[in-house]
Amino acid sequence: MKPHEFYLWMSYGMTAIALLAEIVALRVRRARSLQRIEEERDLEAQD
Amino acid sequence: MNVAAQRLPAEAPAGSFPAAFAWAFSRDMRLTIRHPGETLLVVAFFVLVASLFPLGVGAEPQLLQRIGPGVIWVCALLAAFLSLPGMFASDYTDGSLEQMTLSPHPMSGWACGKIAAHWCATGLPLTVLSPLLGLQYGLAGDTLVALAAALVLGTPVLSLLGAACTALALGARGGGMLLALLALPLFVPVLVFGAGAAEAEASGLSAAPHLSILAAGLIVAAMGLPAAVCAAVRIAMD
Amino acid sequence: MKIPWFYFASPSTFYRLAGWMAPAFFVLAALLGAAGLYMGLVVAPTDAQQGEVYRIIFIHVPASWMSMFIYFVMACYGAVSLTFNTRLAAMMARALAPTGAMFTFVALWTGSFWGRPTWGTYWVWDARITSELVLLFLYFGFIALANAFEDPRRGDRAAALLALIGLVNLPIIYFSVLWWNTLHQGSSVKFTGSTMHVAMLWGMLLVALSFWMYSIGASLTRVRAIILERERRTHWVRALAT
Repeated sequence: MKPHEFYLWMSYGMTAIALLAEIVALRVRRARSLQRIEEERDLEAQD
Repeated sequence: MNVAAQRLPAEAPAGSFPAAFAWAFSRDMRLTIRHPGETLLVVAFFVLVASLFPLGVGAEPQLLQRIGPGVIWVCALLAAFLSLPGMFASDYTDGSLEQMTLSPHPMSGWACGKIAAHWCATGLPLTVLSPLLGLQYGLAGDTLVALAAALVLGTPVLSLLGAACTALALGARGGGMLLALLALPLFVPVLVFGAGAAEAEASGLSAAPHLSILAAGLIVAAMGLPAAVCAAVRIAMD
Repeated sequence: MKIPWFYFASPSTFYRLAGWMAPAFFVLAALLGAAGLYMGLVVAPTDAQQGEVYRIIFIHVPASWMSMFIYFVMACYGAVSLTFNTRLAAMMARALAPTGAMFTFVALWTGSFWGRPTWGTYWVWDARITSELVLLFLYFGFIALANAFEDPRRGDRAAALLALIGLVNLPIIYFSVLWWNTLHQGSSVKFTGSTMHVAMLWGMLLVALSFWMYSIGASLTRVRAIILERERRTHWVRALAT
């Protein structure tokens, strides 16, 4: 049914976007944490 | 007279709930009577906002009768919410809160006394005023009774929930907005059942089921939330 | 034999454990998800009343189940962290919150797009939808409160207590379709059986399991990042970032 395809796509599509966004956010967070640890370690090494 | 310099109950022989309750209640009530600005603000806000709605939506009687209970309840909610930050603020800043945690009296007594005083200063005036506002909205007699009954059961729950949220957010960044995010979602069930009671009465059904659930909620909240308030204050004091 | 019950209660040991567990759970999630979607989109027949649009159920119902279940688990971790005064339990609670909020949002969104063709409206203030929205705000409140303090331990404890207070919302959501006369249909899936077509039921259950495995994988991954942030001054974390 043509009109109903819109609702199906919006639902499944948003779910896919939400899952992917979460995974990307997780990777970014991990990268940022590691970067912060490196920065602090380098700062302390300068002391 | 400096009320904060009043003797704390630590000199009483042993810790007791009624003593702590009486002390906290009388202290807060005395403070409220001496500085009624907070209470008057709450009441004024309640009346003002409830009066704004007919001006905004038009004074059609049937419409006002339909929205009356809900609007009055939302105004009561917001007015109760406005008064929350002041509940622990002055005690937190001048150090009395810390003294409460050190007192030999059970802290829940103090918490209950404070919450009861808060309700007497905010929820009780709102409940007493609600029939007048209800008349403004053209609500019938039994609807007014149901509304007042729902408010008298629901506003203490708002005070209890509000106290827990305020205690959790003591000294946090984000201030009022954080408190709104914490308290208003928890207020929603009270609003739903409270407004529902009056609306049920207005449409001819009985308000008894809604009032029963509100009463049950009040009992559960009164049993559990003072302990949560004490735990939250102890967390804040660490 | 002395069983080391609390061996993995330390952030350093748990970090390694979560490191190999998380990918395993993601793989499981993908497999179960594929199976569930196959059942739901290929095997399950067209609905007599709703046509094809009913297939949103394969996302909507599992996401709703997850939104409630994750909150419950989060509150349990909160209770554990308050009772035993541990760090890791509180970190797990923090790790679960964003995933729970995501599933709550997905449940509301898919429900909205399912409601439009079937009920005629994108939104209605019925009991279950409203309390699910309240749940979303409870998640936001938890995350906001946990991050509102300089001292992360204070945030841990305050948020844990908040989660426990908000737990009362869960029965309201669950029983709302029973208590109120609403647009939402009643429960079709009970512990005693179901009135649904078997392929539809299996599609839903498989996707629900897939979401569950995904949630575990995502929260384990997130807790690893939280551990790195919170324990960044320790030797073992410093050694990691080489």
